[in-house]
Amino acid sequence: MMKKTIKPILWLALLVILIFFPKLFGVYYTNVFVTFAIFATYAVAVNVLLGYTGLLSFGHAMFFGAGGYGTALALKHIDGLALMPAIGIGFLAAMLLALVLAPLVTRVSGTAFAMIHLAFGQLFYILALKLRHITGGEDGIGNFPIPAFTIPGLISIPLKGDPVNFYYLAIVIMGLSLWLMWFFTKTPFGQIQVGIRDNEKRIDYLGYKIPQTKAIIYVVSGAFSGLAGCIYGLFHNLVSADGSLGAMISFSPIIAAMVGGVGSFFGPIWGTAVFQVIEELTHRFTDRVELVMGVILILVVMFAPSGITGAVNTMKMKWHAYTASKAKMEKTS
Amino acid sequence: MDPTTSMYVAQGIHGIAYGMVLFLIASGLTIIFGMMGILNLAHAAIFMLSGYFCYQIIAMTGSFWLGLVLAPIGTGIFGIFLERVFMRSIRASGHLGELILTLGLSMVILGLVKVFWGTQSLPMQVPEIIQGMVNLGGLEYPIYRLFIIGMSLVVLVLMVLLLYKTRLGKIVRAAVSDRDMVNALGINIPVVFMLVFGVGCWLAGIAGVAIAPILTVFPGLADQVGMDAFIVVVTGGFGSLAGAFVVSIIFGLLSSYGIQFLSQLAPVLMVIFMAIVLAIRPNGLFGVKE
Repeated sequence: MMKKTIKPILWLALLVILIFFPKLFGVYYTNVFVTFAIFATYAVAVNVLLGYTGLLSFGHAMFFGAGGYGTALALKHIDGLALMPAIGIGFLAAMLLALVLAPLVTRVSGTAFAMIHLAFGQLFYILALKLRHITGGEDGIGNFPIPAFTIPGLISIPLKGDPVNFYYLAIVIMGLSLWLMWFFTKTPFGQIQVGIRDNEKRIDYLGYKIPQTKAIIYVVSGAFSGLAGCIYGLFHNLVSADGSLGAMISFSPIIAAMVGGVGSFFGPIWGTAVFQVIEELTHRFTDRVELVMGVILILVVMFAPSGITGAVNTMKMKWHAYTASKAKMEKTS
Repeated sequence: MDPTTSMYVAQGIHGIAYGMVLFLIASGLTIIFGMMGILNLAHAAIFMLSGYFCYQIIAMTGSFWLGLVLAPIGTGIFGIFLERVFMRSIRASGHLGELILTLGLSMVILGLVKVFWGTQSLPMQVPEIIQGMVNLGGLEYPIYRLFIIGMSLVVLVLMVLLLYKTRLGKIVRAAVSDRDMVNALGINIPVVFMLVFGVGCWLAGIAGVAIAPILTVFPGLADQVGMDAFIVVVTGGFGSLAGAFVVSIIFGLLSSYGIQFLSQLAPVLMVIFMAIVLAIRPNGLFGVKE
């Protein structure tokens, strides 16, 4: 009973905090929060594949980058392109890439799947560096125009150089993506992917086509990763090979999902939050973020394989068992 | 020889030399994978670490030969340490855990290397005997690359003898095909694992020392060459030594001729080759279906 009344109040409180966040915490933390929101969505998109379907990809940066480069190139070369179509182009670019790769990658799983993605991720990284006339090489595409958010005849909100307005745009888009993915995992189709993770053969016997089913999930995961990458590109007004396609971009959502808890929808969000805090702190003392991240990964895999959510659940279960046994003791005595 | 032919021949030998180095790395990776089911993502970092060990030994003693012998052995011991401390304790948590653990290890090794040796390229001098050029029927060719090919061939022959002529090799080959059965026959599989892991790292160490004088030693070495080795293992088929060998040589040649003709896009060729092979045979060129 308590839970039913508390939950809406908590959601409302969260909404209020999100609306007044820029006023409460200032521009610096607003920007930190936008980064968090982008990477949380990205980590959830990766986890739809990793946690729900059991497919580990070491190259999701290519989708993240495809979204970013798609939007940036469109805004740079098409004059007068509005904001929403530009974001749509980034989303579709990542989706298209996933569609092209799907027939190849859905035939394998496990380690081979991970390694093929490592190779393709690296391929796109190299291509972005070498095709200088398109991607700008190491400098990337920077300072492209960012149109205002407009609803024709109603409003026009400028975004370039206005972090608070951009914050609202990013929060709405990321929130919407998270909700869509959450909804997707709750549909009957979304439940089949859990089945594929747990017992692929059985789902096959039930009459589902495994490669095609995997392909759809793969495309969903890739497209939302692209959306996150596209907002990331707009946020920095820069897409570059290292910033959007580098190996760390592929690994960080996996780390976030591992830390937060693979297989729980909200786990990666907690993981990203922890990740963000650690990154903020380590940047203050040292620039060896890689080393710190590696140590965290090893510790998590060795001592808390199911992440934060897993650890919390175990603690909850222990607490329930403890209270139950206590109640029993009182009854008997 | 006229200049064009000699160019082709020179690029061909270049490619074979690089292919042999790739094979030294990939063979360790693929045997470890075949036996334990672990794809050791830290392998590339271990390969790079060996280059740094060799640099350090040369800086301290001044002898390249000492570095060539000791650095791979040090790397092998380091590999055994990793296996005992980290891999063994998480065997239960499945492929995902292992992949992510080795990824973490590789990040830590890379980070520590940057702490100790910095990020700049460290040059390495080879002794006089294997410096300079040799005349191959009108073609001037650097001796050092021929030395790499020769050394790799010696190691390869040693490995084949070890695998196919000794009792230990028999056990390893049996364990690749059915680990549980070998364990049930009373052979101490964890010890065999440890040895194989050490030997795999030792092979990567030899490759690291061999490539160091050509490319210099720098942290990016792990990404640059290690990535190629991972692609070799995937394309050749997990656990297949023959596959690793064939694909290594193909990749070496692809990369050397690729640089000649399509200098911008040479790395792309390998990925395209991999994509074609996997589209036809999802388990790799010589892979068997699980």
